[in-house]
Amino acid sequence: MTKDLKNPPIDRVDGRMKVTGGAQYFADFELPNMAYCVIVGSEIGRGNIASIDTKKAQGAPGVLGVFTHQNMPPIPGWDAPVGGEADGPAPKPDTIEKYRILSSPKILFDGQPIAMVVANSFERATYAASLVKATYTKQTARTDLEKHLAEGIAPGRPGSSDYLRGKADGYQSAPVTLEANYTIPVEVHNPMELHGILAHWTGTDSLMIYAKTQGVNATQDAMAQAFKIDPKKIHVHTEFMGGGFGMGLRTWPQETAVVAIARKIGRPLKLVMTRDQMFTLVGHRPYTVQTINMGADSNGKLIGIAHAATAETASYEDFTEATVNMTKFMYECPNVSTRYRIVRLDRSVPIWMRGPGEATGAFALESAMDEMAHKLNLDPIEFRLRNYTETDPEHNRPYSSKNLKEAYQRGAEAIGWNKRKNEPASQRDGDWLIGYGMSTGTFNAFRWEASARALLNADGSLTIQSAVTDIGPGTGTALTMIAHNVLGVPLNRIKVAYGDTSLPKAPTQGGSAIVSAVGSAVYDACTKIKKQLVDLAVKDGGQLAGRQADELMMADGMLSIEKEPGKKVALSDLMRTNNLTVIDKSADSKGGPELGKYSMYSFSVHFVQVRVNPLTGVVRVSKAVSVADSGRIISPKTAASQMIGGVAGGIGMALTEEAIIDHRFGRFVNNNLADYHVAVHADVPAIETIMIDKPDPIINPMGAKGMGEIALIGFAGAVANAVFNATGQRVRDLPITPDKLLRAV
Amino acid sequence: MAEYEHLEDEFGNADSSRRNFLKQSSALAALALTPVAASAAIDNGLDEKMAAAFEQMPLQVDINGTMRKLSIEPRVTLLDLLREQLHLTGTKKGCDHGQCGACTVHVDGQRVNACLTLAMTTEGCKVTTIEGLGTLDQMHPMQEAFIKHDGFQCGYCTPGQIMSAVACIREGHANNPDEVREYMSGNICRCGAYANIVDAIMDVKQGGVRV
Amino acid sequence: MNQFQYTRVTTPKAAVSALSQENGTYFLAGGTNLIDLIKREVVVPERLVDINKLPLATIEKTSTGLRIGAMAKNSAVADHDLAKKHAPLLSMALNAGASAQLRNMATVGGNMMQRTRCPYFYDPSMPCNKRSPVQAGPDKGQPNGPSGCGAIGGINRMHAIFGTSNKCIAVHPSDMCIALVALDATVNVSGPKGDRKIPFGDFHRLPGDAPQKDNTLLPGELIMSVDIPTNKFADNSHYLKVRDRASYAFALISVGVAVDMKRDTIQDIRLAMGGVAHKPWRLTEAEHFLRGKPATEANFKQAATIAMNGAKGYGENDFKLTLAPNSLIDALKTATKTA
Repeated sequence: MTKDLKNPPIDRVDGRMKVTGGAQYFADFELPNMAYCVIVGSEIGRGNIASIDTKKAQGAPGVLGVFTHQNMPPIPGWDAPVGGEADGPAPKPDTIEKYRILSSPKILFDGQPIAMVVANSFERATYAASLVKATYTKQTARTDLEKHLAEGIAPGRPGSSDYLRGKADGYQSAPVTLEANYTIPVEVHNPMELHGILAHWTGTDSLMIYAKTQGVNATQDAMAQAFKIDPKKIHVHTEFMGGGFGMGLRTWPQETAVVAIARKIGRPLKLVMTRDQMFTLVGHRPYTVQTINMGADSNGKLIGIAHAATAETASYEDFTEATVNMTKFMYECPNVSTRYRIVRLDRSVPIWMRGPGEATGAFALESAMDEMAHKLNLDPIEFRLRNYTETDPEHNRPYSSKNLKEAYQRGAEAIGWNKRKNEPASQRDGDWLIGYGMSTGTFNAFRWEASARALLNADGSLTIQSAVTDIGPGTGTALTMIAHNVLGVPLNRIKVAYGDTSLPKAPTQGGSAIVSAVGSAVYDACTKIKKQLVDLAVKDGGQLAGRQADELMMADGMLSIEKEPGKKVALSDLMRTNNLTVIDKSADSKGGPELGKYSMYSFSVHFVQVRVNPLTGVVRVSKAVSVADSGRIISPKTAASQMIGGVAGGIGMALTEEAIIDHRFGRFVNNNLADYHVAVHADVPAIETIMIDKPDPIINPMGAKGMGEIALIGFAGAVANAVFNATGQRVRDLPITPDKLLRAV
Repeated sequence: MAEYEHLEDEFGNADSSRRNFLKQSSALAALALTPVAASAAIDNGLDEKMAAAFEQMPLQVDINGTMRKLSIEPRVTLLDLLREQLHLTGTKKGCDHGQCGACTVHVDGQRVNACLTLAMTTEGCKVTTIEGLGTLDQMHPMQEAFIKHDGFQCGYCTPGQIMSAVACIREGHANNPDEVREYMSGNICRCGAYANIVDAIMDVKQGGVRV
Repeated sequence: MNQFQYTRVTTPKAAVSALSQENGTYFLAGGTNLIDLIKREVVVPERLVDINKLPLATIEKTSTGLRIGAMAKNSAVADHDLAKKHAPLLSMALNAGASAQLRNMATVGGNMMQRTRCPYFYDPSMPCNKRSPVQAGPDKGQPNGPSGCGAIGGINRMHAIFGTSNKCIAVHPSDMCIALVALDATVNVSGPKGDRKIPFGDFHRLPGDAPQKDNTLLPGELIMSVDIPTNKFADNSHYLKVRDRASYAFALISVGVAVDMKRDTIQDIRLAMGGVAHKPWRLTEAEHFLRGKPATEANFKQAATIAMNGAKGYGENDFKLTLAPNSLIDALKTATKTA
């Protein structure tokens, strides 16, 4: 009854709200008697507050309170984990120091809040914040990972342990070997929306929160723990979120502090952070140094890979990510070892940033693959094909689906790969050098637990509900399409409600997993409705009495006999005749045990053409093709947008993005959008996206895998490889800025 | 006091409320009108409302076709005025320093960054925000084109992109995709919808609809 | 932002009078830099004098060239037919700066007055002699944060290679001013002591021992207009801006080239560079070398070598010692159409 067909492109369901300015993000809500909060940050990277003078600030017009470690209202669940801390079990408390906002004079990182100032207008709070003056006893801030690489520790979390297949030094004996170091600087998510929160205590133990979170349920749980109140009394709303890219994957300490202060002052309280605070208080992609050793035989077969990564984390929390994982399963190779270390520095804690560690790791692995292909004088695609694997060599089990060969082929055709010359620096257009590069990306495909509710109304309209947040990928649009495919209700008769804890519980938006998780729940809930409708129709006396369920189809708000187009009943009629005002079905959905028999990954291939000015070292991405092998595409239009967004992010990662610290002060010097260069319009060419669009038979009933991460993973490597092809210069430290390519004339 | 009488001869009438306040307030007349003095006044126990009165100035500005008569602190930016006082929250704050374009509005038909525009400098001007460009029922062609081409994801930079896009065409800077990319570079989209935004703008431009 | 007084003036006379009255008073024009500085508490004004209503936005042809009013918006100048026809280098330089929105706000006078983008200047917790000069006296800036130069020995990738001092290695950030210094512009100012003309090359200054002073304006002076003399450079002008992203970024190096070509020979030439000094950097000796010579790559290379006389790197910005001459060659090739 369900046809497995490619889905048509549809407009984003929340598009009209977004283009008219009607979409309300957390800071757009206004509550009576609302006050404004401004954070004062530490000006040192390590030490103690010796004194803090808040008298002037307290006396400034409109000020309602100045909160420091000396007078911060208590947070009853202070020592409970405040939600969403880095994955895995937390380290033992005695091995690591604690950061609890405004709880002590101790400074653990630059920009750490030392005061939160509350006033009755934004201007007044901001001005009063400028009047708070602190003196410090300074200690040396250890912020430079390069200087502390030897202090790496094994994180001791499942998934972060050293990996070995075959021999660790298997690469050494290979006829052709390669050793290379790759560096990723600190990158900052920098969604366009500033972080913050609007908190309103609606009763002594009930709370309304307008949040910037990728998961309203996670924020609800975090606040329930922090304030030791019933989660049911906490209502969190994030219908619209102005981008997350990972920074909203946890509840940050300043959010909890705002909630505590709001309770203390007895007024709704709004915090909108400043852009510079976005660099220190809501995470970042960690500075990571990687070494790859690779060996291959003269036929281009890999013999060994050793991949080691060391990344920064905070002194107070061990952040980990899957930087080296791709190396374990991407290519057929008998000897593979990986090693992942973290160094605790006087820095604020990182958080997963789009593609997260996999994007960091893919830059190294896919650059190394290109370097090796060059050593072997092989076409980079050919080299990858010679080491292609149809089964997962890490877990010795099949992939649930993998169409990567087709992706290589279609992407190569689209970019014009046959115009590429294997000899670097051999193509010019006038004064500009031309080069082509490619890279592979991959990311786990998941199916998490999720719930959803579907309500078919007597007028034939359908409502879909889930607490999930749509941070921009088009979740609401995809859920609409899934419901439409099951029930045949016209798209314009489907309303989807999301981003609110009053709706059925959903996982946090992240890990490219939401269509799979929440989409499956919507599918299941709608399938329950369908079953009831079919039962009503075919029962004795029903409009389609005596028919078999598998003869029926649903389309255009009708239940009909597939082979007899005239024989049909409108869903609204079916409900009316059965005296139903609504069919209301919920589903808690999760994958079955059979998923464990497969390795489930999405794949991408990125192709770029670059132009490089040999005099100035300027690099421009002149063409980009991104191919996604991520199962059935539910919403082709929004999926393509995710892919082009990955290209824009990838261009930034490859060419422009770097948050720079002056290690003498442990402080950022470019913590703003003028000096931290995210790609602008002029950096991004027209982009071709290609969807393989073949359903995965295992992962979920829609056959859909995720694509948010693979859109970015690998892209920076493709650019670096293209730059090498254009110039003969290999840049292993991102970003590839003009100075790194300069050669004297 | 003499100093301000002098100013009265020289200047326009923007100072009138303050001058009147000064004239009426013998307690404060001796104070220079400085922020330091204002906080001193608070320290001296004077009523905050009094301080507020002498911190606020009159502003008349046409916003989306409605003449507004306002009283604001001179330090208030056009962006914060729109968002926090006039509840026009379609205009977004992305950086507050003129580095992202999320706050783009039109002042007398010119696209500007509202975050770096003191509201007082818009006296007598016409301000147009996204709410004044089109509505849910009657969208501007550029708004339609953004939906058609999916020129956004999270939607946060979108009002600024659209206001900028309309101006880009009106200025005559939308003659080809490369020109659009250059003249739209003041509007950052972190979701990376650039390619679709350029398509939307070129579509409107080539459609020939008057924007 | 602190609370400041706000005054709106409608005549230059009133503006000059207002600025002369007390310390801590600033003219507010487009505000694209000043409001930013106030938000960052680098500038803490007592009073802003809004000069946006001054009738100084005219762009006109005079008997000796072009006159551009100080309050003309950057975008209005860039798109003006007179500028495009008689000073295309100015048009190109303006369009290379900032964003369309900022160019709609920023004025010619304000552009000249913009402060450096050195990050140490913008962060009052960091050492900066420009923001917090050590010496006393009437030119003393607002002491605000620690003094010293954070960039020397620090993060100085964007910083100067010409005309630095041990007090400051910041660069002047304007693109427009590179074109104006190349085109031998003159600045007309009005002050408490009357009107005067300042050659553009003398308007901005090197940091020396007083990096807090960006220019040679006297207290209370108001920029009225800029004059660009008639020239023969319209057919062979080019502004090259090398930056970390394709648009909306400050220059690593920028080069303004204006040439009067007679067949393949350079009759006359003007060269200036941005991103290299505390002021727009005119390359007079390289101009002198090229004058009368054929437009060849060999000559451009030699001119670039001459242009780099006296350049000095500070570590992270050493690459500019290569990028600057390369950029000059690239821009010369484009301007002379020998690329």
